[in-house]
Amino acid sequence: MRKSLMLTAISGAVAGMFLFGQVMAADLKIGIMVPTTGSEATSGKDMENAIKLAAMEINEGGGVLGMKIDTMTGDDACDPQQGTAAATKLVSADVAAVVGGYCSGATLPTLKIYGDANVPFVIAAANSTKLIDANMGNAYQINSTGFDQVATAVALFEKKGAKKLAVVHQGDGYSEDLAKLTREKWTAMGNEVVAYEVVNKGEQDHSALVTRIKSKAPDAVFWTAYYADGALLIKQLRQAGYRNLIAVGDGSNSPKLLEIAGKAAEGVYCFSNPTVDYLPAAKEFHANYKKTFNQEPDAYAALAYDGMKLMADAINRAGSTDKAAIIKALGETTSFTGIAGPVSFTDKNTLARSNFVTLIAKDGKWALSE
Amino acid sequence: MSIQDILLQQLANGLILGSFYALVALGYTMVYGIIKLLNFAHGDLYMIGAFIGFLFLSVLSPLIGDSWVGILCSMVLSMIAVGLLGVLIQRIAYQPMLSAPRLSILITALAVSMILSNAVMAFTDGEYLAFSTDLGYEGLEFGNVFVTYTQMVLVGAAALLMTGLYLFVHRTMYGKAMRAIAIDQDACRLMGIHVNRIIALTFFIGTSLAASAGIMAGAYYGSIHFFMGFVIGLKAFTAAVIGGIGSIPGAMLGGLLLGLLESFGTQIPFIGTEWKDVFSFGILILLLVFKPTGILGRTEIERM
Repeated sequence: MRKSLMLTAISGAVAGMFLFGQVMAADLKIGIMVPTTGSEATSGKDMENAIKLAAMEINEGGGVLGMKIDTMTGDDACDPQQGTAAATKLVSADVAAVVGGYCSGATLPTLKIYGDANVPFVIAAANSTKLIDANMGNAYQINSTGFDQVATAVALFEKKGAKKLAVVHQGDGYSEDLAKLTREKWTAMGNEVVAYEVVNKGEQDHSALVTRIKSKAPDAVFWTAYYADGALLIKQLRQAGYRNLIAVGDGSNSPKLLEIAGKAAEGVYCFSNPTVDYLPAAKEFHANYKKTFNQEPDAYAALAYDGMKLMADAINRAGSTDKAAIIKALGETTSFTGIAGPVSFTDKNTLARSNFVTLIAKDGKWALSE
Repeated sequence: MSIQDILLQQLANGLILGSFYALVALGYTMVYGIIKLLNFAHGDLYMIGAFIGFLFLSVLSPLIGDSWVGILCSMVLSMIAVGLLGVLIQRIAYQPMLSAPRLSILITALAVSMILSNAVMAFTDGEYLAFSTDLGYEGLEFGNVFVTYTQMVLVGAAALLMTGLYLFVHRTMYGKAMRAIAIDQDACRLMGIHVNRIIALTFFIGTSLAASAGIMAGAYYGSIHFFMGFVIGLKAFTAAVIGGIGSIPGAMLGGLLLGLLESFGTQIPFIGTEWKDVFSFGILILLLVFKPTGILGRTEIERM
């Protein structure tokens, strides 16, 4: 027992020396927190790649304040406990700032760790509204939250001249939240929600629901849950002769929805986070990414890339690597434009505009609407 | 839509839903009738039917298209394949357990159910497969009530299969043998009836009916999933109990009735469509308490 304690102490000390040595050697150490193992590893590694690509480009252009960026990855494995461990590792390695955050659940507990250490943190993808309350002022969300999706959705319905809306969700936290927020906003604008319905997960036959919706004659139907069941609902709505607008939330943003619903999906609207495919400004990034990593960038690569660029921009504006100064500079961001669009923040450190894009199904593919 | 329109539309919807329930319930009731086994793997055979039909359709569609001809061909092939699978399951899993206590064979059925659904899950990675068929949305409009041709064909096909089964059971020697086995197996053996062969035939017919419902549901709804058999298996069980388990006309009646009850029940104000399952299983509980023999069932029922 005593022997193993000794061993632990020695190895700890050695590891500490090793880490310390690395810090001394690095110019500007930036932490990346993403899941590189576990179920979300694909998306996490993709974000890591994008961040590293941004860092490489910055280094080629002379670095930040004359220093070269050196990245260090902490694996949160999309798990709250692993996330805590990853954040502790990055903080004790004394990184100047952290970019990343994919899973909201894993990112949430790290906010306190980064907050206590006052580390500037750009949250690239995670967008639960829960992150807003847990933020200690040092973290900035550059991906839009659920509130923004509602704003984008409601704007589309209004533009299409809808008055009566039907909202359907699946009873899980995510889709119910989106449905509830939409209903609140839509009625607050003086419009009517004629049907507010729930369906069971995995239900195949929606005929009863379709009859109910049809009998209320809505101008638009908004499905807030996931693609597999959404495709069936769309199909059955069209089959029953419902001809008005149908829109689906970002949980249904999948080519699979179009595959299952087939012809019925033509003209269906979908709200999506800004992914590379739909960003006109991402062409160059897309090509570079493919050249460097020999694969296609995934959904959140663009935001991760923007996150690193934004951090470098803030450090440049701060003029030093002092953490408080960087955080202040991040908050004052006004003229930064990433490939996903311009960035500025609200007083709650969330993105000031909705970065959701509206897609439309055309010839069996999602395309940018208008 | 006026209230009459809603009710009429739901009548049509209920008939479609009920046809699926009835087709699956038939297999349940036939197997129960002949060896008193609640075959809980029955819903999974419905699911397998859809997947095998999907396989056949993707092989055949370059040759004969994915419209009615293609669906019909793959349906027949899938019914045969799944029917044989049903016989195989009966031979491997149920035959050795026939003289064991009833609980053992019931647990075996649950195990078969899990093996089937997990095997499909492993093969498909738990993904939804899109059943891409070329069925249009054309149909007839009666006032505000809209019924597509596809829906009419589905109900027609189900009715045809059920009539065929009824005639088979009541007009052929095989059917007579089935009914006889349901009454007394040992006496049948003494009379020179190949009991095991007839039991195998019953499994073949029962599971191929479930497979036909599976592929029809796949083509109609448009997606298939390894878990799709679970709820419909329970619903079919409910339908069989409503009609009187063991009785073939009872299963047809129970299936249609359950479909209609769900369709109309979910239109009651303040009861959302999410209560659909609660509605059917609530009825199951009430029925088991107050009339466990079902509508067409008697205590001394002539099964089949």
